[in-house]
Amino acid sequence: MAGDVLNIVVTGIGGQGQITLARVIAEAALLNGVNAIVAETHGLSQRGGTVIVHVRLGNADAPLIPPGAADALLSMELIEAARYSYYLAEGSIAVVNDYLVPPPLPGVKIPEPSELVSMVKTRASKLVIVPATQEALERGDVRVANMILLGAAIEAGALKDYIDLEAAEKAIQNVLGKAAKPNIAALHRGAELARTKQ
Amino acid sequence: MAHHREVLSPPGKRVIMLGNVAIARGFLEAGLQFAAAYPGTPSTEIVEALSTASRVLGGKPYVEWSVNEKVALEAALGAAIAGARAIAAMKHVGLNVAADPFFSSAYLGVDGALVVVSADDPWMWSSQNEQDNRWYGLHAYVAVIEPTGPQDAKEAARLALTYSEKYKRPFILRTTTRIAHTRVPVDTGEIPLDKLEPRGEFHKDPARWTLVPQYARRKRLELLDYWDKIAEELASFPLNSIEGSGDVAVVGVGLGHRYAREAVRVLGAEDMVTLYKVATSVPFPRPLAEKILSHDTVLVVEEGDPVAETQLKAMAQEAGAKTRILGKRGEPLLPRYGELGLDKVVKALAKVTGKEAPKWALEPPESLDEKLPPRPPVLCPGCPYRGFFYALRRAVNKLRLKPVYSGDIGCYSLGVLPPFHVQDTIIEMGGSIGAGNGFAHVLRGDNDIAIAIIGDSTFFHSGITPLLNAVYNNAPLLVIVLDNHTTAMTGHQPHPGTGIRATGEPGRAMSIESVAREVGVEKILVADPFDVKDSEAKLLEALRYVKENKKPAVLVAKGACILVALRTAYRMGVKPVAYKVNLDKCTGCGICYTVFNCPAIHRRSDKKAEIDPALCTGCGVCAQICPFNAFEPVAEPNPEWFKIMRTAKPE
Repeated sequence: MAGDVLNIVVTGIGGQGQITLARVIAEAALLNGVNAIVAETHGLSQRGGTVIVHVRLGNADAPLIPPGAADALLSMELIEAARYSYYLAEGSIAVVNDYLVPPPLPGVKIPEPSELVSMVKTRASKLVIVPATQEALERGDVRVANMILLGAAIEAGALKDYIDLEAAEKAIQNVLGKAAKPNIAALHRGAELARTKQ
Repeated sequence: MAHHREVLSPPGKRVIMLGNVAIARGFLEAGLQFAAAYPGTPSTEIVEALSTASRVLGGKPYVEWSVNEKVALEAALGAAIAGARAIAAMKHVGLNVAADPFFSSAYLGVDGALVVVSADDPWMWSSQNEQDNRWYGLHAYVAVIEPTGPQDAKEAARLALTYSEKYKRPFILRTTTRIAHTRVPVDTGEIPLDKLEPRGEFHKDPARWTLVPQYARRKRLELLDYWDKIAEELASFPLNSIEGSGDVAVVGVGLGHRYAREAVRVLGAEDMVTLYKVATSVPFPRPLAEKILSHDTVLVVEEGDPVAETQLKAMAQEAGAKTRILGKRGEPLLPRYGELGLDKVVKALAKVTGKEAPKWALEPPESLDEKLPPRPPVLCPGCPYRGFFYALRRAVNKLRLKPVYSGDIGCYSLGVLPPFHVQDTIIEMGGSIGAGNGFAHVLRGDNDIAIAIIGDSTFFHSGITPLLNAVYNNAPLLVIVLDNHTTAMTGHQPHPGTGIRATGEPGRAMSIESVAREVGVEKILVADPFDVKDSEAKLLEALRYVKENKKPAVLVAKGACILVALRTAYRMGVKPVAYKVNLDKCTGCGICYTVFNCPAIHRRSDKKAEIDPALCTGCGVCAQICPFNAFEPVAEPNPEWFKIMRTAKPE
């Protein structure tokens, strides 16, 4: 892909906050004067189904990232991380929540987390796994797991120099308003988790 | 999420907006006075954002959720005939419902302005088909404007309303999912607050406003004249442009333009290409077509059917041009189904220009779906429909019936999946009861029974007339209305059953039972879907009634959408108490994670159940279905939560 675009695939299960995560990235990019395009999943697919949000920063026109051209994958769930890992380009980064939700289909075989991780590793040059959901539950609000993942992604360098923690903090304030405080705390906790992982 | 307050951002700012919110903003900047819609993905947020604007601006413009798309379009047309600037927004299949007034609107014209927004859904992310509604434009002689990407959705909406006002004719604003649901920075302009007031004036003129044959015939001729004229004048539409001067013409229509433009850049083909950006796909502007046909080779990039391509090919034939026009017809360079993708457009353009395409376009990595368990959308943990479907299957089995489940459009469509299998047919909005009439009259075996399953919003949309039909023609049909007090699938809009209007004012709440009674149904039952025993008892009674009396019956299952209930509880400071599994009691029978199938209940490697605390909503229905009483609340449950679960409505 032309060098002046950063392609980020955000995935997970409907209801885990992928859209808010992508909105915060876009808002932070805009605060830094960078163009952003975010293609979302709404409607039927939101009901506990697989979700993919395409985030493109910089000189991009088209809304969708082609498979094989993503610079980063941010996933709220392990199976979905593996499912969309084929979007990753060579030299890309994956930041994945250490959380597996078996699809509620009777009799379906669920892969082991280690299999899923190795699927992601065959595409990503760098993989950072953070216990975002577990950490969020311990903090008493599972909804902040997405901001934990974002903090970890920024720390891991998945958003390059397009977005830093400071811009993300302002963006959370703009996007979430009254609910910003626990989310900003979660953002920094995520960064801390990624730091200790590296 | 449902508020979209950014629609009223001050002028002169750059604000990130969803495509649909940008469209709402564009309409406001054009002086919109009247908006009506029935929610439908991917169109919903347009009128959601407008209702926020109306709320803040004290009823300017007038905004309503109509009961269905036909009424929405008729209401907007009426307002526009009386001189208002009006829009009606709907998903692509909504225009099928509204087709009758839509065709008439082309003949009638308007005194104010009328834009019909059609949000098409290629690859059917949330729809039953992939229809391209630009054909409706050609069919009805209504000009179609398409934003050339979410980037100019606001301008396209503003211009569509402005053009409609200028020509006094309806226009279609056609979007697709990736325009509607893509967020981009938008530059805000001025909203003329003094023009938004919903005030009109009707000038009596039967020759103008009635379609009796003597007037309609004259209008047909006028319409054809208009069509020739607009095909000339749309060439100068402000969002149409020409970039570059290469030999190959690339025609980027609507969203196709964004893919085409980036593909040219990716291939470094700027010198070889003349890029035609086209926002007016129907009728394809004749002067623009003439320029395009002066090239030897043309590649048309458009999302949906080859609507622009077909018109260009017809015009080439008429002009005797030898131009090679490529796209989706003949030997297609672009797929005839699904959404466009940068890889597909780069590959097509590489073929036309001889440029070398990057690896991701030539050999795209293969999807990994087959190596992983599928994850289709499912009923949410705590959804009232889960317990009710569980009870339904038990009741039907107890009576040894052979049901045909006539299904419908809504969250309950997800009942098509295992383990429920309670949607044997899914056709369109209201089709459950309509087709149920047919099933009921021809399925005559002793154990046969037709069961229509429809939601509350869908019932008000188009379930009432087929229910009346069932009464009139005495169809032995059980109609189940799943009433979760909202239009859930599209993001919790109110409907006539809720007693709340689009702008938040109270309206009169219509009860489904009283509607059923008034259309003449004699047997009406109400069940609590969070109470499996109650649901089963009511279902047994209803099923027996239909079989014994050979008459229709209605059963309404009332329980709130769990997502609305959770939000309400959070706002009220009520904390639902999650459940856990007592492993000493759990025998690993699996009923909870197979037959009941709650997504929050997982199977452990020893077959016993466990609950994911991140997913459990504390509805407590698992505790009712476990034969061994193995589910226990982690603390004393809050009775307030059980009340909210049953009654919560959207704000």
